[in-house]
Amino acid sequence: MKTYFHLDMDAFFVSVEELFDPSLKGKPVVVGGRANERGVVSAASYAARKFGVHSAMPLRTAYKLCPQAIFVDGHRERYIECSRQVFAVLQKFSPRVEMASIDEAYLDMTGTERLHGPPLAAAHALHNAVRTATNLNCSIGVASSRLVAKISSDQAKPHGVLWIIPGQEARFLAPLDVRKIPGVGKVTEKNLNAQGIRKVGDLTVLDEKLLLEQFGNWALALAGKARGEDAGAWFDSEIGENGDPKSISHEHTFSVDTAEIAALDATLVRLSEMVARRLRDHHLYARTVQIKLRYSDFSTFTRARTLDHATQIDAELAAAVRDLFHKNWTGKPIRLLGVYGQSLEGSEGQTNLLDEGAIGKWRKTLRAVDQMREKFGDGTVSLAAGMKANLRARVHDNPENLPGKDPRAKDPPEN
Amino acid sequence: MEFTVSRADLVRELNLSQGVVEKKTTIPILSNVLVEAEGDRIVLTATDLELGIRCSCPARVKKAGAGTIPAKRLLDYVRLLPEGDVQVKIADNHWANITCGRSKTRIAGMSRDSFPELPEMPAVLAEIPIGVVAQMIGKTVFAISNEESRFTLSGALLVLRKGGLAMVATDGHRLAMVESGGEIAGITAAYRALLPRKAMMELQKLANDADPAAIVQFSGDENHLFFKLGDRLLLSRKLTGNFPDYERVLPKEHGASVGLNREDLRAAIERVSQFSDERSRAIRVRVGDGEVKVHSSVSDTGESEDSIPAEYKGAPVEIGFNAQYMVDFLRAVDGETITFLFKDPHSAGELQPTATDKGGSYRYVIMPMRI
Repeated sequence: MKTYFHLDMDAFFVSVEELFDPSLKGKPVVVGGRANERGVVSAASYAARKFGVHSAMPLRTAYKLCPQAIFVDGHRERYIECSRQVFAVLQKFSPRVEMASIDEAYLDMTGTERLHGPPLAAAHALHNAVRTATNLNCSIGVASSRLVAKISSDQAKPHGVLWIIPGQEARFLAPLDVRKIPGVGKVTEKNLNAQGIRKVGDLTVLDEKLLLEQFGNWALALAGKARGEDAGAWFDSEIGENGDPKSISHEHTFSVDTAEIAALDATLVRLSEMVARRLRDHHLYARTVQIKLRYSDFSTFTRARTLDHATQIDAELAAAVRDLFHKNWTGKPIRLLGVYGQSLEGSEGQTNLLDEGAIGKWRKTLRAVDQMREKFGDGTVSLAAGMKANLRARVHDNPENLPGKDPRAKDPPEN
Repeated sequence: MEFTVSRADLVRELNLSQGVVEKKTTIPILSNVLVEAEGDRIVLTATDLELGIRCSCPARVKKAGAGTIPAKRLLDYVRLLPEGDVQVKIADNHWANITCGRSKTRIAGMSRDSFPELPEMPAVLAEIPIGVVAQMIGKTVFAISNEESRFTLSGALLVLRKGGLAMVATDGHRLAMVESGGEIAGITAAYRALLPRKAMMELQKLANDADPAAIVQFSGDENHLFFKLGDRLLLSRKLTGNFPDYERVLPKEHGASVGLNREDLRAAIERVSQFSDERSRAIRVRVGDGEVKVHSSVSDTGESEDSIPAEYKGAPVEIGFNAQYMVDFLRAVDGETITFLFKDPHSAGELQPTATDKGGSYRYVIMPMRI
């Protein structure tokens, strides 16, 4: 029998902002940008949520719903710092910790009873330890599967601990809306509702064959989830195991749609650099590059190309990306650009006969450049073609190298 | 226009045009073969604007003239006719009537007026036995790049110098270079040009049909290359752009070398590479005391190893290679043994036939893989 904790920080970005500006406490606060800016809500305080504001909603919509809210810019570095503090606490409770995102983590607490006591006691201890170390509130779900732990931490919010006693998973899940199951989004919910399936319990009484016919293979995973089992996609793996990403990408939404070639080129180059940087962090090489174009009318296109060798070199990625873009761009104004590195491989593979000298120089240069960026910030050094791009990471993007995600990533912080 | 021709002659010559006619129908006339009847011969011409072929065969011409007929449809039909004479008549409305024994067919043709004019062959630059050309093509064509974006690598570099010629092809990962042996009297001047892959394939087809000693006349103008073999003329657009400076990347020296039985090595690599990653085709070649080991593994599929006896006493070296690249060479090279030259896991390796005839050379350079 396994014991898993799922720890989720309460209104994380807002709470961190409150640490720096206590006057925000208890007020409707929206993190993500100014009310009249293009962009989305990264987080909303509980007071703002009462007005219907939620994360991922356009800022302007949030303003319409709650004009009295205080809109603040996000401070990525603050959140990353707090996230690291939380991680340091978690590591004292279990060696198997995986930050699923900047503000939530899974812990495998199996076999820690003699050290931390029974699950509920350990959860309370952890709850207090996080509060003491960071001054931030969190909620913890405890269960025999990660899936149920995640759902129970959600039910425990705000600032609570909820333990689902083994054997009671199905009873706990049955009365919940199907939407509560991770992986069930708006569309699936609608489809399920159309079949008369509204509660998780409705799923468990259905014949698996029928589910398979109606919804295909993933429905079996869904049925498993409904019984409280870890099934499907991420839930099939162990915590902290095989965290290698399938694809590495960066996107940028322009604050004003643009058809200006210089700006588009610069952005593509910057995005390529960011992707290449992360490839190097993960010790991975991309064999395929993909771009994503979104025009003003929201029509969205992706185009991919397989390179003749895998790479993690900025200039090689950027060259392929720009070529792909110029072969596919209609010339109309662009709203969003994305660059993806895919078909990731753990080694460089085939080396090059004609350009080996130049590639070798790039490798050395980038090693030095990465060290400078580490020390002085990401914008310190860039390809000349990317200098004009005005990008900053969005506050709700997950930082690179979430602890526990990649076994080959840098050593975790010292306790 | 009206003529009678033997079915066998017509099928043979039409076959040659098939590789050249345009497969896509963006310009409909290019799917057609131009048929010209004059004197006691007919001349067939096909082109896709990149390549052109002109060939001819004897015919009894009743009325001289010209017209165009869809090449594939014509061949597919004539091939099904019984052995014997075929009578072809193209009416003023461009329809072709084909009669053979009790079979009669009408095919919609097009006016010859819109058929592109092929450039005239300029003065002959060299005369080379077709067998030599075909052999050199066979030893290089597989190393040509499949990447559309690497335009200048989508053909081979043809280098003529007094008394001999060389051909070089590379895809950026490996490079094949072959130099003719012996003195070829018909080559008197120096010349360099990039020959597209498709032209090389068509040249090989022409060679298959001819005596290896038959002489091909070679010529070139600003944009085209010409190869004339008897009554058949193949012409191709030159590839533009600069071929990489291949002499710079040819290794000057390797630290070590080992001789191996060609068939043994090929068979070993083909077996072992069944267990290499499908996409990268990576295998490890380990040269050690008295043997060369070929090894490959994919963690969740399996692993395989083969060993070939070899006379080697140096320090053991293990290098990763793309299995396909090695097999390509081992299939193309002649002779019982080959020599593998190498230095370390980061430097280019090289394969050569151990013996070459008449002072010719064949070098195959492969970049290693980092596994």
